[in-house]
Amino acid sequence: MPLNLSRIASHEVENPTDLSLRGAFELLEPKLRPPFALTIPTPQEYLLLNKAILHGVLCETHFAKTHIKHLHAIVTDGYGLFVSLVAKVTNELYVKLVEPVKCQLIWVAKEMIDVQAVGVHDLLVCFLRQIVGGDFSDGNLWLCFEIVSILLTKWDCLLEVEPMILTSGLYTYLRLLADHSRLLSNPKLEALKQLEIDFCIKVLREQFSVCLKIGRDLVRLLQDLVHLPNFRAVWKDLVLNPGNFKTPGFSKISQLYNTRTSSQYSLLRITPEMETQLRFLLTYVKLGSQKRYQAWFAKKFLCEPNRETLIVDIVRFICCAHHPTNEIIQSDILPRWAVVGWLLNHCTKNYVQANVKLALLYDWLFFDERVDNIMNIEPAMLLMVYSLPRYIDVTHTLLEFLFLLVDSYDVEHKDNMVKCVSSSFSVLVKKGVIRSLDVLTSCDALSPLLKERLGKLLSGAGGKNYIPWGVVGALKTYRCIV
Amino acid sequence: MVSLKDIVPAAQNNIDTKFILLDKGSKTIQGHNETCLALVADETAAVHFQLWGDECDAFEPGDIIQLANGIFSYNRNSLVLRAGKRGKVHKVGEFTMVFVETPNMSEIRWIPDPSNSNKYIQEAVISPHSRIFPPKY
Repeated sequence: MPLNLSRIASHEVENPTDLSLRGAFELLEPKLRPPFALTIPTPQEYLLLNKAILHGVLCETHFAKTHIKHLHAIVTDGYGLFVSLVAKVTNELYVKLVEPVKCQLIWVAKEMIDVQAVGVHDLLVCFLRQIVGGDFSDGNLWLCFEIVSILLTKWDCLLEVEPMILTSGLYTYLRLLADHSRLLSNPKLEALKQLEIDFCIKVLREQFSVCLKIGRDLVRLLQDLVHLPNFRAVWKDLVLNPGNFKTPGFSKISQLYNTRTSSQYSLLRITPEMETQLRFLLTYVKLGSQKRYQAWFAKKFLCEPNRETLIVDIVRFICCAHHPTNEIIQSDILPRWAVVGWLLNHCTKNYVQANVKLALLYDWLFFDERVDNIMNIEPAMLLMVYSLPRYIDVTHTLLEFLFLLVDSYDVEHKDNMVKCVSSSFSVLVKKGVIRSLDVLTSCDALSPLLKERLGKLLSGAGGKNYIPWGVVGALKTYRCIV
Repeated sequence: MVSLKDIVPAAQNNIDTKFILLDKGSKTIQGHNETCLALVADETAAVHFQLWGDECDAFEPGDIIQLANGIFSYNRNSLVLRAGKRGKVHKVGEFTMVFVETPNMSEIRWIPDPSNSNKYIQEAVISPHSRIFPPKY
């Protein structure tokens, strides 16, 4: 009797993917034992055979090698179908898989890398997305260990197939290291942490040209790790000796600042399940009806100790990877700024709150109308404006933090950040995200110091960029088509 | 599949529907079995759902539940939807379902239809929202 891949609770329906793999296995079981048939399968038979073999690999540990040999014998599509099935199981079922099946899943992923299967990059992305930030459970640390080991041991092979796999790994592990280096005196974590450091440093030192493609979020993540000696050295080179990276065309850190990070990277730090729930919340739930959903989301993903750092990733996802349509912006659906406000309020630790604000305001510091998307900076602006006057603390803390960033994030580039932040404000008004900045500059309750600072910043942007505040109406159809 | 706003009290196990569980009360003993009252809803209405036996621990707020052959009837003077002996409930998902908390079909006074005494029709709204699970937010 073939086993299920996943645990099923009482009164829970079986997962259709699990069912269909098991169904194929049951149907073809006699054909899965050597000697294998030499006939060429029809496309339908080929699909079934791939499913049956995958089920065999995952559930029959002792026959796994035989099943893989069978696969090698029948494969006609560069393993594309097989890898897509493995990816589907990982995306849909990973959390529910029984432990031996998880081990087999990792094993089969390695096999697929060895044969340089089609779609291996996407498959590794699926695994990376199952690693949860802020989760120190044995299962999650085990997955961190397995995947970073794959990235290190299969380095040459991965580099040959698709160097971008390494940047996906780098983004993930830089972020995880921020968590893993905060929790001290855990010998098990120590070994994992060392592997993660080795991997990240190897990518940064040996393949910096591909790292450049990550763009500005690479700097954001690295800054969180400067307390670790190896990363301090990387940071020093980045700021003082860019030539040490021996990467033609790279001469200054601002090249990273000026590259907007693809939303693919922010997606890496959100599990598919979180993504589904967040997108549902921001697409179907009406403003005013969100409280129960938020409580469910928090209970599931944010309640356990240390999980808070995940909020940084969620805010980055909301700003960079979830851009609602104009219809939704104009409707009564829960807007992104409201969710960000809720998440900000959910932070209890100061350093997490600071990182959440950085995640929210990060694109403001480098905003260039020609390459950047206004949707990345919109949530922070609307949160500042709609928090007035009742939640003025939120407006204060965000504006204060924005000025703090301009002053101290990178003093060498302060002048440019002043320009970019000022340009952020003017583009937000020009595109009608807000009608005018009067709502801030003439708000009686707003701290006079902040008002003065804001006035200075805006007037400094005079000349050709100057926008007569208040002239442009709130169009509410500002979504950039990029 | 019927929408919750269209369910009518009847002594028949014939309701197939899908809803999301919003809230759960505490367990009580009825006869030899545990029961637990829950607030469930779909995009048209809410209703009180009675969980029975091991169903009480199998479902949590946020779960999307499919009911097959359920019954909407009076149980100790309160009007509840439940699987009953012939019906079945299954968890089919989580989170991704919209809902309304009013009207609540358990908070409606029903009277026999004058033109067809086998049927019930709505007489009056007792309360727009559940009085057992008042709106939380």
